[in-house]
Amino acid sequence: MAGEPINEAEALGRLRQSEDPSMQYYGAWWLGRNRSQHPDAVPLLIEALKQRRPRDPGAGVEENAVARNAARALGKLAPAAHAAVPELLDALADPDDGLREAAARALGDLRAREAVAPICTRLAGGPAVAGARQTSCPRLVEPCEALLEALGEIGVATPEVLAVIEPFSSHEWPLIRSAAARALLQLSGEARWAEPLLALLGDGQLHVRRAALMDLGAAGWRPAAEAISATLAENSLKLIALRGLVENGSGEPGEDALLAAMDALL
Amino acid sequence: MSVQPLISAVQDASSALELVRATAALAASGSAAAAPTLVEVLGFNNPGAAVAAVDGLIAIGSPAVDHLLQLDPRNYGARAWAVRALAGIGDVRGLDLLVEALLTDVGPSVRRAAAKGLGALALDALASGERNTVQQHALTALLEATSDGEWVVRYAVAVGLEGLALGSRWPTGHSSHSSSCTALCRLSDAATEEATVVRLRAALALQRLQP
Repeated sequence: MAGEPINEAEALGRLRQSEDPSMQYYGAWWLGRNRSQHPDAVPLLIEALKQRRPRDPGAGVEENAVARNAARALGKLAPAAHAAVPELLDALADPDDGLREAAARALGDLRAREAVAPICTRLAGGPAVAGARQTSCPRLVEPCEALLEALGEIGVATPEVLAVIEPFSSHEWPLIRSAAARALLQLSGEARWAEPLLALLGDGQLHVRRAALMDLGAAGWRPAAEAISATLAENSLKLIALRGLVENGSGEPGEDALLAAMDALL
Repeated sequence: MSVQPLISAVQDASSALELVRATAALAASGSAAAAPTLVEVLGFNNPGAAVAAVDGLIAIGSPAVDHLLQLDPRNYGARAWAVRALAGIGDVRGLDLLVEALLTDVGPSVRRAAAKGLGALALDALASGERNTVQQHALTALLEATSDGEWVVRYAVAVGLEGLALGSRWPTGHSSHSSSCTALCRLSDAATEEATVVRLRAALALQRLQP
């Protein structure tokens, strides 16, 4: 991600050319990072998202790396990028699980209700199928964490959707359990789904505690405020989580108490 | 009890965890003699130990300041922790380092700590001329940092401006009071500030400055 600082025109130009994928990769990232409002940004990112091909390990920068970054950038340009939903749904069926992951996150950012059915289909096999480990690498068959989180963000809380998510709350990986509990908490608002997240704040692994912090923040679960402040993790992450309680939550503790908790972590 | 055995325990720690424990024990002594060793720990690239050392240095307070200011500027990691310690101590000798950190440090968590620290300087003991100079220097830096690219830094700037204005007891109508309020107004306005939480915090600060 190194390189000279560039401006919007330069980022658009890099994405528009097709000689050098690494330039496109950086251009796509720049447009998302800087929340570009330029009218060409979304159409160019959609074009970049279409630009994918089967994996070719010998090809240097992979074509799909550009498509993945384009998907991520489209999510960051929500809601303006709604025109990208059909192409993102297409990407959700791509053989590349990394691209499916980026597409799922973007569809969640875009609150794309059209994505709920295809995401549920991908998760339908449950932890033993969608959540099983791939034979060739330490990843799951489906990018479960991103798919579950997208369902929570999109917010369609039907019994069918809840039934698809619930089995993942006992997945063997803590990060998947955390993502499932987060989505269930967002969709149902039931306190019992906060319990596993609060328990994970005390996990022995820092990366698990970090994930639980982010998930409680995304769900805006205000009763977790004190537990968040007391978690053994960087203040930066606790501040992001508490911001989530302020912006996504309601009820007690109220805003003034949450802001005071944030002040204490600066 | 002498702190020397506690200092030796830090120097002899043979694992990361042992270093955290020994540092916490030394920090808890609260003894000024612990300061040089605690400052040394800031450069050990052990975040758990550094957090404990920062707590200890803040508890020691002013006697720790000279040791903190003597850190090699090229030791970036240690300096970042030192900014946090100086922000917590609030001694005006740390002013220049806090201003420099707020305006130029690449780490948002360092800029965030510096902004809060600039609002928590101990001003009361200063002669009025010096107090005025320190206030203006801190205010200028905080005003400049209202356009920081990171929400958490702008949040800390709102907290810093509130602290500086309350601590300075500028009368309503004083130009520094007005410029603090103008900056907080911008931070509380959806047209100029995208992060809801920053707007809420800035509005709270305004409320406290304009009762």
